[in-house]
Parts: sequence; structure tokens; C-alpha cells
Amino acid sequence: MILLNIKKGFDLKIEGTPLPELAELNKPSFVAFLPEIIPFIKPKLLVEQGDRVRIGSALFIDKRNPDIKFLSPGSGKIEKINYGSRRVIKEIVIKLDNKEESVEFDVKKFSGNKKYSRDDIIKTMMDGGIWPFIRELPFRDIAVPDYMPQALIVSLDNKEPFQPDPQVYLKEEINLFKTGISILKNLAENVYVHTSKEFINIDMTDNLVTHRFSGSYPADDPGVLLHHIRKDPSENRAWYINGQDVLLLGSFFSTGRYPVKRTVALAGSLAKKRMYFKTRIGVPINDLIEGRIADENKARLVAGGIFRGYTASRESFLGFYETSLALLPEGEKSETFGFLRAGYDRPSYSKTFLSYFNRLPLTIDCSLHGEERACVNCGACAKVCPVDILPQFAFKSIAAADIEESLSHGMLDCVECGLCSYVCTSKIDLCGFFKSAKQVYYKDKV
Amino acid sequence: MLFGKIKKAFDKNRQHFQDGGKLKSIYPLFEALEAFFFTPANITKEVPHVRDSIDLKRFMSFVVIALLPTFFFGIYNAGYQSNLISGFSLDFRAAFSKGLLIVLPLVFVSYAVGFFWEILFASIRKHKISEGFLVTGLLFPMILPPTVPLWQAALGISFGVVIGKEIFGGTGRNILNPALTGRAFLFFAYPAKMTGDSVWTVVGRLKEQSVDIISGATPLAVSALAGTGENIEALLAQKGYSFLRLFTGTYPGSIGETSAMLCIAGALFLMVAGIASYRIILGGILGVLSTGYLLNMVAGESSAAWLSINPFYHLVMGGFAFGISFMATDPVSAPGMENVKWVYGFAIGVLTVLIRVFNPAYSEGVMMAILFMNLFAPLLDYVEIKLRLKKRVPNV
Ligand code: SF4
Ligand code: SF4
Repeated sequence: MILLNIKKGFDLKIEGTPLPELAELNKPSFVAFLPEIIPFIKPKLLVEQGDRVRIGSALFIDKRNPDIKFLSPGSGKIEKINYGSRRVIKEIVIKLDNKEESVEFDVKKFSGNKKYSRDDIIKTMMDGGIWPFIRELPFRDIAVPDYMPQALIVSLDNKEPFQPDPQVYLKEEINLFKTGISILKNLAENVYVHTSKEFINIDMTDNLVTHRFSGSYPADDPGVLLHHIRKDPSENRAWYINGQDVLLLGSFFSTGRYPVKRTVALAGSLAKKRMYFKTRIGVPINDLIEGRIADENKARLVAGGIFRGYTASRESFLGFYETSLALLPEGEKSETFGFLRAGYDRPSYSKTFLSYFNRLPLTIDCSLHGEERACVNCGACAKVCPVDILPQFAFKSIAAADIEESLSHGMLDCVECGLCSYVCTSKIDLCGFFKSAKQVYYKDKV
Repeated sequence: MLFGKIKKAFDKNRQHFQDGGKLKSIYPLFEALEAFFFTPANITKEVPHVRDSIDLKRFMSFVVIALLPTFFFGIYNAGYQSNLISGFSLDFRAAFSKGLLIVLPLVFVSYAVGFFWEILFASIRKHKISEGFLVTGLLFPMILPPTVPLWQAALGISFGVVIGKEIFGGTGRNILNPALTGRAFLFFAYPAKMTGDSVWTVVGRLKEQSVDIISGATPLAVSALAGTGENIEALLAQKGYSFLRLFTGTYPGSIGETSAMLCIAGALFLMVAGIASYRIILGGILGVLSTGYLLNMVAGESSAAWLSINPFYHLVMGGFAFGISFMATDPVSAPGMENVKWVYGFAIGVLTVLIRVFNPAYSEGVMMAILFMNLFAPLLDYVEIKLRLKKRVPNV
């Protein structure tokens, strides 16, 4: 096991972390698949309204690679398909029946200690709808299985605020996790399991965890690990998977059924109950928050992390990858002489608020706390960037469309953690520059 | 209550400044005023959903707060020196109120004229007014001699804001420190009002008979006049400038610059708050001391007296303490990379001493030193960035 000390990054001390309490959520009446929020894919529908589907029936494929399938997380009837602007498929809503019928996939051939072919595993994973859980650095698209990556990184931590704690979702599921890992070992030269120093799981022998870090958000990110261990550009195209998704993989290969179980964290200062729910992929947001939200009109519902997630509406559903829902105050109020407050309760990376001495978790809202200005070179962004980018200089080369320079600044190493935008004194959305520049570059390349 | 009323007043008058309103062209002024009272209620549109509580206004306010002790001392000292030379009462109230009469008009002119330009450029460019000017507008009068005519102050701040900043594109894009640029302009355009022994103290109208010209000389001027082989420390002491007095600051000089002690206090505050770079400040102090000692070592019997001065005197005399604490650390005109900040600070220290010693005509070396290093800051950054990027594993 390798110990890493990741110095940069930042942990917010904020209120709303879920308690390690786990409850079963009542079975929802609907579930949905949200193609819109899966980056890069070009979905082609295989179903239409009114069709009957089982758990594991294919709903759509990715036109870019028709072998990549996305399956139904429920058995029942396609209630409706919601489109957004320019005909993007927003939601495929399934009304659940009571049968819970499931498509059976042939996974028996992978049992035992036989040597099986990598291609066969990949094919089975694609058919079984779980391939999309494996993604590829640096663009974070679904992995393209045309080569054997140096590393496949399993990130097993929750440094982003309000994300599910692996201690909670791994409880009693460690065997699924181990099965998942043994499958993953066929896909890459090395499988790295990356977690924090504090992480303890008695069932988890140390030869399962390969890397432990001490550090702050986003030290648990696969891109951050890669940045700290790679020696050669050939390692850049690494694959990664989320800890909780390894359970789904394990479950798929143990049962032959498309796995839909999820452990979802409900968190944030406006959540009356901050806890975990056992539920399923595509659960309605409303089912999660009904009766558990304080001050609904003032709340923003953030699915998938306050630094990287998306704003969800109450009528919508949780996405395919997302496993948390944070309820944050929008914070639309102006403040008299805001800039002169002592700020014992103001979360800040800077040392310009008395909250620096405050040990208690603070309330955070979605206010910008200021207006955008030109960069004043304060250097805060470079102090937090976990992959040693110099955002204040790199973003200028991106803005000037100098792609060579931006690449040499390590633009592609950006893990899109959003910390630089968070800390920026001038309220510049630096991370947004990196994200969109990466996307443009990726789309040009393929 | 009061704030409620102010808020209402803003809401009521907003229409005049918006599209279609009569005063639309000065919307940035309205906006800046409103934002001064009320932190705007903007919220994040997308990721990251949360943002830090700091903003540029708070950042700049901290610099202003750090300047205040020096500022108030500067007011007192300007009044004190004036009353001293004019033979008026030296008690605190008398000195301070005299100081107010000297300093406040300058501050007022600096802010008013500077804001005029800021608003003009903001309106033309349809930008927001940057808070950087809160600092520039206060810094500028503090580095002027108290006797400077108001029209020159107006001209200086105009030059600083327009040439030092706006032609580069405004706060954040300027290469030079605007306040220093304005000061340097005055120095070269109106040397008579910026140098010499008579500019550092406002002389009262009455009792002019008691004026003792020499008591108006600044410590730097005294030092520069020292003849070969003379001992500057002794000479200064003879004029009443003990080290302690130089350190505390009750001597003639630019309004805000004389108290090294309060500059250190302000610098400490800014360093602790993470706003001023300790690398620049310590680098500067090291630069002064090492150059000073080096000169001490080469100094011989027949060399100029300046060479043998105790280097610590350089730290407390003239504008060095002020310059290194508040001017050199201006993040916009300083390098952004951490290691070259040492180089930058150090070079400012070295240059300050060298200019003082070898070119006594400009007794105030720190101003030139900082402006000169401002020019090199982008190059220093460039070098460090290149070296650093070389170490990255490429990812393309
Ligand atoms: S550049 Fe910004 S978003 Fe990208 S890794 Fe660094 S801190 Fe995170
Ligand atoms: S945090 Fe913002 S203002 Fe500060 S250096 Fe970075 S980009 Fe510039």
C-alpha cells in the first residue's frame, strides 16, 4: 500500500453532513433514466411511450458506440419521454409494476477460477448496462475499450461534501465489492483502490486498498491520484469507477441481473433529516425529500455534490451516476455592509473572516457573495488546485484560445473539482473555463 | 432602520439609471454606490453551487484597514511637524486637527478625481467599477509631501489612474502600481514640489520667524548631505533623529510614510490575513540588510558616508517600510508566482539602498525600485511558470 500526502485542496466545514443512519425508502411509483445529464453521449431511443420494459431492458444506446447500452432501472411501462430544448431526451419515465421482472444475463461462465477473455467480459458488461460506470480520464467520458489502460482507479471516499460515506454503503456489502474488484482486474494492467487514511473497514484487508491519502477534497478523485503517481504520459488515459458502482458490478456478476440498488445520501442544511436511504437508480427526487425538507421555497436541490452536481427540480429524478441530494439555501438576500462583517459564521478559505477560528460547521448557501471582477492575482486558486495547475495563468491562455499554452499548463489534468472557482476573490468561474475548453478540445479530437 | 431607508432610496432611483433612464450613462456609479452598502444578492447559476464568502471588496477593505493606523498617524504627524515649525501648540488635539486640515483635502481630491476617471472608464467600457481604487485613492495622498498643491495632487492621481491603470485595461491588467505611477509623475514633472527641504512640512502663516530651515530636512536628506567620513547616525542624532524616533515616525516626510512601526503593524495584519505576501516583505527586508552590510564591508576611509550607515537605518528611514508593506505587495503589479516573489522583494530592497546611496539626488529610492520591479514582474512570472511547467508530465 502506498501512502500519499496530498497537500492542496480544501475541506469546507459546513453543516448538513448526513448521519450514518440507513433506512429503506418506500418503493417509488416511478423511476426514470436521465440521458441528458450523462456527458458526451448521443442517445438513440429503443423504446417509446407505452412500451413494457423489464429491469434490464435496453432503453437507448449511444450512437457513438451502439454496443453501449443503457438499461431500464425498473419493470413496468414507459409512462412518458420528456424532451428538452432541441429535442434532447431529458427523462425516460417508467411507471413501476409490482412484478419486478428482470432480464437475465449469462454470467455463469465467469464464475470459478477459470481464465476468461477480457473481450467477453467487456461485451457482457456492455450488454448488462454497467459498462458506462467505467469512465476514462482525462475527459471523463465512458471508457473506450480499445486498449488496455495502465490503471483502473476505484475511488473509495467522499471528500466532496455530502457524498455517501463508503463506510455506509459498504456495510454488509463487502463481498459484492470484492467480486467487483476481481472482475475489474481483467480490464486494466493495475487496479488501484484509493481511499483516505482514516478509512477503516474491518472486512477490507489491506491488499484490497492500494493507495491511501491524507488530504482534503478532492484528494479522493481518480485524476488527483493519477497526477500524483504517474511518471509517463502513457498513463494519462486511465480508467476509473466510483466505489459504490463497484457494488453494482459485483451484484451484476453474482446474480446476472441488472443491478438497481443505490445508497443515496440526503444532506444539506435545509434537510430536516440528514441520512442515507436504500433505494434505487432513478428514484424520484420528491420521494427523497417529501416531509424531509425545511423551507422548500428557499431551497436549491443539488444532485451529485455541491461542487460538481446539477440543480434538480422536485419533479425530476436522480441521475444514473448521482448518489446524493443536497438541500441548500439559495441565499438570495443582499447584505448591508457585507464586506465589513466580522464573519464568525461565514465559510471562507481566506483568512479574512473570524470564522477562521470557528470550529463549528457553518451554513453555506448558493450566493456568489460578490460580483465578478478582473483577476487581481491573489493566488488563492493556485493554492488549492489539487493537480498543481496555475488557474490564474492557465485560464488566460484558454480565454486567448491559445490551445498549446493551455495544454502545457495541464488543462487536461483538471479534475473539474470547482475549488478554484470556489475560492476566487474575483468570483471568476475558472473551473468553467477548464471544463468547456476540455470539452471543446475533446469534441475536436474525436 | 437607516439601512432600510437607504435601500428604499436605491430601489426608488434605480429606474433613472437603467435602460431608458436619464442617467443611464453613469449606471456604474449607481451600481458601485449600491454595492458599497449592500453586498449584491447574486447567486450561482451552475457548478460550483457554492462560493467563498470573500470578494474583492473585502480583500481591498482589508488593505484600507491595514493602512488606517499609518494614515491617522500621518495626519497627526503632518500637523505636529507643521505646528512645531510654526511654533504652535504641540498637544495632540491641536496637532491632529492641523493635520486634518492638511491631509483631508488631499484625500478628498485623490478620491474624487480618481473616481471621476474610474466612472468615466467604467461607463465607456460598460464595466463595473473595481474596488482596487479604494486602496489607490488612499495610498496616493499618503505618499505625497504634505505641502503639495491640490491641483498637483489631482494631476498626479489622474496620471496614475489613466496612464498607470486604465490604458492597460483597468484593475487587474495594469503592470505598474497606479498610486506610485502618479507619484513618480509628479516627482519628475514638478521636482520643486516633491523634493528639497521645504516641502515636507506645512509652515503656518504666523510666527514664521521661528522657522529653522534645517528642522524641515528629512532624515534621508540629512544622510545624503553627510560628507565623506562623517558618521550618519551621529549626524542624524544631532538633528534629533534617533533610531527610535525614526522607527516611531515623528519626523518630516511624506504624509503616511514616516512611521515604520505602524507600517510593520499594518504589514503584519495583511500577512496574517493572507493578503500581503510575506515573501515579498521579508525578501525586501533581506535585500536592504544584505546590501547595506555589503556596502559596509566595501566602505573605506574615503568613501561616501552613506556606505557605512547601519543597514537598519535604511529600514526605518523614508518610505521603505511603507513601500514594501503596502506598495510592493499590491498583488496586481507584483509577480503571482510564489518563489519569484522572494526575488522581487529582494530586488526592491537592493535597489532601494543602491539608489539612496549612489544617487542621492533622488533621495527616495523605494519608489523607483518598486516601479522598476513592477516592470520585471511579468518576466519573473514567465520564468517561474516555464520552469514549473517543464516538470509536468505532459497530457495532451
Ligand atoms: S483547475 Fe480548478 S477545477 Fe481544475 S483541478 Fe484545479 S482547482 Fe480543480
Ligand atoms: S483566485 Fe481569482 S483573483 Fe485570485 S489569482 Fe485566482 S483567478 Fe485571480
